[in-house]
Amino acid sequence: MRLAPADWLFIVWYFLLSIGLGLYYSKKAGRSTSEYFLGGRSLPWWLLGTSMVATSFSSDTPLAVTGIVIKDGVSGNWLWWNFMLGGTLTVLFFAHLWRRAGVMTEVEFIDLRYSGRPARFLRCFKALYLGLPISCITFGWVTLAMVRIIQAIFDTNGVTAMAVCLGLTIFYTTLSGLWGVVATDMLLFGVAMAGSVILSVVSVEKAGGIGGIVAAMRGLSAQAGKDYLSVFPSLGRALPLAFVVALFVQWWAVYYPGAEPGGGGWSAQRMLAARDPRHAVLGTLWFNIAHYVVRPWPWILTALAALVLAPGLVHAPPGAMEAAYPKMIAHLPRGIAGIVVASLFAAFMSTIESIVNLSGSFLLNDFYKPFIRKGASEKHYVAVSRVVVLVVSILGAGFSYLLGSVRMGWQLVMELSAGIGLVLLLRWYWWRVSAWSEIAALSASAGCAVYLHEFPNSPLVGALSSALARAGLGVDAWGVKILLIVAVTTVAWLAVTFLTPPDDRDKLLAFYQKIRPGGFWGPVARRNGRSYGLQAYPFLGWGLALVTILSLLLGAGKLIFMDWAGAAACLAAGTAAAFLLWKTIAKIDWEGQ
Amino acid sequence: MRKDYLPMALGFWGIALPLAVFGLVFCRTAAERLTAFLAAAVFALVGVLISRAKR
Repeated sequence: MRLAPADWLFIVWYFLLSIGLGLYYSKKAGRSTSEYFLGGRSLPWWLLGTSMVATSFSSDTPLAVTGIVIKDGVSGNWLWWNFMLGGTLTVLFFAHLWRRAGVMTEVEFIDLRYSGRPARFLRCFKALYLGLPISCITFGWVTLAMVRIIQAIFDTNGVTAMAVCLGLTIFYTTLSGLWGVVATDMLLFGVAMAGSVILSVVSVEKAGGIGGIVAAMRGLSAQAGKDYLSVFPSLGRALPLAFVVALFVQWWAVYYPGAEPGGGGWSAQRMLAARDPRHAVLGTLWFNIAHYVVRPWPWILTALAALVLAPGLVHAPPGAMEAAYPKMIAHLPRGIAGIVVASLFAAFMSTIESIVNLSGSFLLNDFYKPFIRKGASEKHYVAVSRVVVLVVSILGAGFSYLLGSVRMGWQLVMELSAGIGLVLLLRWYWWRVSAWSEIAALSASAGCAVYLHEFPNSPLVGALSSALARAGLGVDAWGVKILLIVAVTTVAWLAVTFLTPPDDRDKLLAFYQKIRPGGFWGPVARRNGRSYGLQAYPFLGWGLALVTILSLLLGAGKLIFMDWAGAAACLAAGTAAAFLLWKTIAKIDWEGQ
Repeated sequence: MRKDYLPMALGFWGIALPLAVFGLVFCRTAAERLTAFLAAAVFALVGVLISRAKR
């Protein structure tokens, strides 16, 4: 498609605004590494929550959702909606603890919690592992998705457009630090959402309105034997294993960027940058609401409209299904198309800037500072941070050429980290978890993933597949693989935990006194002379947060499809749950005194 | 207006204005125009809220 001059005008204006905003904060960022990576720990909840959701809204996200909806219908989204279980758990049980920890990065937490040589090794290893390969894979698949979008929109190879966009993003991110990242995230999320809403309205109109979509989907559902509009999978058929794994295992076991069990990566970075523990909690709650309630329906509507306009897409390869999203831009009027194209750039930029700032924080704070050059000036560390951010960006851009597909990138990250989630959750609440537990979990998870990659038809896979099929599940290779990695990893780290000695008593006591967690801290709590029990309200709050998000998500869908009674019931339930959640949050002692 | 938040608020108003103008000039149907105006209004409102946020 060809963009009109008015479209280009908006795109150029949008880039100028984003870069100007990022550069404004560069002076502030240069003061110290705490300013550069944590914004001076002064972020309010609305800013850090929006930044989290902007980061998780990447250029590949609307394409992935479009592909899911075209292939499996609306209910296919449970592949990622399942993470709301873990996300809300983080809100009520972990966000305030992160802020209380007061560390600079997720990796520095290791130094606070564990001691000795295993802790030093783990910190060094995780800084390099998360800062280089994992960040580069994530950077790579986000960049690759953007290249595909540019190819679909402009019918070119997209290298020049990508180079310009990437160069500008890296330029202001390198200079501006976290304040610049979150400030631009705020604007970029607004632009990205505006673009997806506008595209969905125009797409629905082209597809004959909501009535036209409902009628077409009923016909398609009858042909395909599955309900394309249902939010939940049909219970009358064998449940897909991937759905069961997503709902019961994935959210607590898999370390996926943006949905890390107990928080991690860029979400932990924002919690650490919060003004106080309460702001960390509210920001993470806002992230979960925006992530699951505000974002999905415009994408789903665009995907359904694309399916109405091109029913043959159901038989298309996955790449063509995903490309249906950017191709809908051709239906937009001139001027407005530019806004939607800018929104896709916004989604891309908001993710890239967070990835490079985060990986820079790992490499500087948890590798360079403790292991390469201790005790240098803050000015020196900020200068090194900027160089590190630049190097990670170049490596990440190079990595996008190595990845075969977007799906390959996120599957690789999920497989490498499947099973480490439980140890990340329990390290806050169980005194017995040690650095060896984490080392064992990381090694077992990665080792098992590599083994299953090399021997996909091993007898273990065959036996588990047969057992699951006998249990009435629709078995798929991906679900079996994740289940196996989680099982092996869990057994491995639990065994290592009990076979190795507990951590140093003084270290555990210092951690317990600083963080004041509840849970299973028996001997440490006795030594402390005071036990910090788990409060009941966070459990109530977790349930209420889930009811709120699920009711509002369903209510929005029913409202769109003009099921007025259902919408009223869901929205009333969601509002009531949100009110009770607010009251519950007010009753919780976030300082843990 | 809080100094830290001023550029963010300006950014939102900077998007609201072209959205409203482009909606008026280029949108063909009532639904398109309404969407563009509503989006512009939301951007303007968020800009106002940011500019009044407590530091």
